[in-house]
Amino acid sequence: MEKFLLLVREDINLLKKIGEEGRYKNMRLMMKWVESLAESGNYTGGEPLVMSGKYVNRDEVFSDGPFIESKECISGYIFMQAENIEQAASIAQTCPLVMEDKMILEVRPVMTINNTLLDG
Amino acid sequence: MDEVRLTADQLYKSHFGKMVSSLLRFSNAIDLQAAEDIVQDSFSAAIISWEKDGLPVNPAAWLFRVCKNKALNKIETSKRFSNLFVDETVRADEPVLSKFPLDDQQLILLFACAHPDLSPKVQVVITLKYVVNLKVEAIAKILGMTVDGIDKLLVRVRQKIKTEKILFFEPRAEELESRIHIVHKILYLIFNEGYKSSWGKVLIREELCEEGLLMTRALSKSAIGNKETSALYALMLFNASRFKARFGTNDELLDLEEQDRSLWNKELIQLAFVQLELSGGEHISAYHYEASIAGMHCSAESFATTDWKTITILYELLLKINPNPFVELNYAIALYYAGLKKEALDIIHKLEAAPFFNQYYLLHASLGRIYFNEGNFVLAKEYFAGALRLTGSPAEKGFIQRFMEKLTSNE
Repeated sequence: MEKFLLLVREDINLLKKIGEEGRYKNMRLMMKWVESLAESGNYTGGEPLVMSGKYVNRDEVFSDGPFIESKECISGYIFMQAENIEQAASIAQTCPLVMEDKMILEVRPVMTINNTLLDG
Repeated sequence: MDEVRLTADQLYKSHFGKMVSSLLRFSNAIDLQAAEDIVQDSFSAAIISWEKDGLPVNPAAWLFRVCKNKALNKIETSKRFSNLFVDETVRADEPVLSKFPLDDQQLILLFACAHPDLSPKVQVVITLKYVVNLKVEAIAKILGMTVDGIDKLLVRVRQKIKTEKILFFEPRAEELESRIHIVHKILYLIFNEGYKSSWGKVLIREELCEEGLLMTRALSKSAIGNKETSALYALMLFNASRFKARFGTNDELLDLEEQDRSLWNKELIQLAFVQLELSGGEHISAYHYEASIAGMHCSAESFATTDWKTITILYELLLKINPNPFVELNYAIALYYAGLKKEALDIIHKLEAAPFFNQYYLLHASLGRIYFNEGNFVLAKEYFAGALRLTGSPAEKGFIQRFMEKLTSNE
């Protein structure tokens, strides 16, 4: 089994529109899905993220930095293990919110000493 | 159901996947969709003809002949229009699978479905479709999905099945070795799907457990089955032994403490211990730990005299293989019953503080149960109410409501 990080990307405007209640409803849908991932031994952990944060570079600290212009934000992350990147992607496809086109999951292999920086 | 339909249904149940995979092997001109269409058409033709003229002497042979003719027609048509230059058509006589150490065609298909690039859910769906030979409607019902949802999964996987030749897998020894873990997981998930109590008492689910058990038994008896197979088989047998005791007289869901242990099937428990014994070796899998935990419960005289201390140790070991909050919650519950109440509550409240896991119905139900036991009815009520909000399953709702009623009568 290899390790993967799933970055949860959601549309900021959509998130604002559905509000707190809608976000909790989505979270419960995700809960069901994650429960099935745990059952198959793929889920290891994860958490949702608050929508605003600080963006830091050498010169300045922006309170909500690049989010103003960008249409999507990273709204959570999931750690999991899978046979390979193909399977990890195949698992991500079964996420109910991805199927409903409400969410994008970016699947990234966690680097091990055997792969290089540029490609896994 | 009349005799014709019954025969057709039985043949479908025993042969659908095998017929589809034979057609795929038969010719390159037939893709998965075409193969499934041909098999479906053959069944439709059979029902119409049999209802008109009566059942033939050998219905299976009749069906295969029609299916073969339809396949030949299909190859002819596609040759004329698109595959003019493909010079391979029939290789049905080649002993494609002769090197396979298994003789059961169902097991061969099972290994074919265990493709490492597919998600466990997709592996389960195609196993139910091509190995267990369930129709899409039945699969949707079993997995709590819509027919449309299943179709979407299948459309995505169809291309992959074609390019990777997933349904006519020609296994090599080392590939069997690496795939057997995936096969175990598929069987585990299929059995669990049938065992889940959240569905309440439904007959079709018992059949699913049975399918899981039968395939696991066939695998453990074959040349490729290993010690992990025995551990998985033991786990299923332990759980199956409690099948009848999980629901009360009004079909209400009962927990381990409430179950009538005299209803547990002693023979299955004995068989399970034999398998657990056989599973011993250097490699210890999650199934070994889960089976051992189930075995501890099955051999306990009562809930109170259960060896919770050993169970906590088994959960600690399981957590090393499956480090996730769901297992951690079970570990904490075992700690609580082992008398380590503070340690248990520390873990559960830590899990409760995680904003995502906080949405898990069993987390709240467990805290409700613990505070109920501790006599803190105010907190118990709060957590049960939380659990009630978080589950949509009628069986689980009924379970929580029963405890809330007990609370009211204690007030």
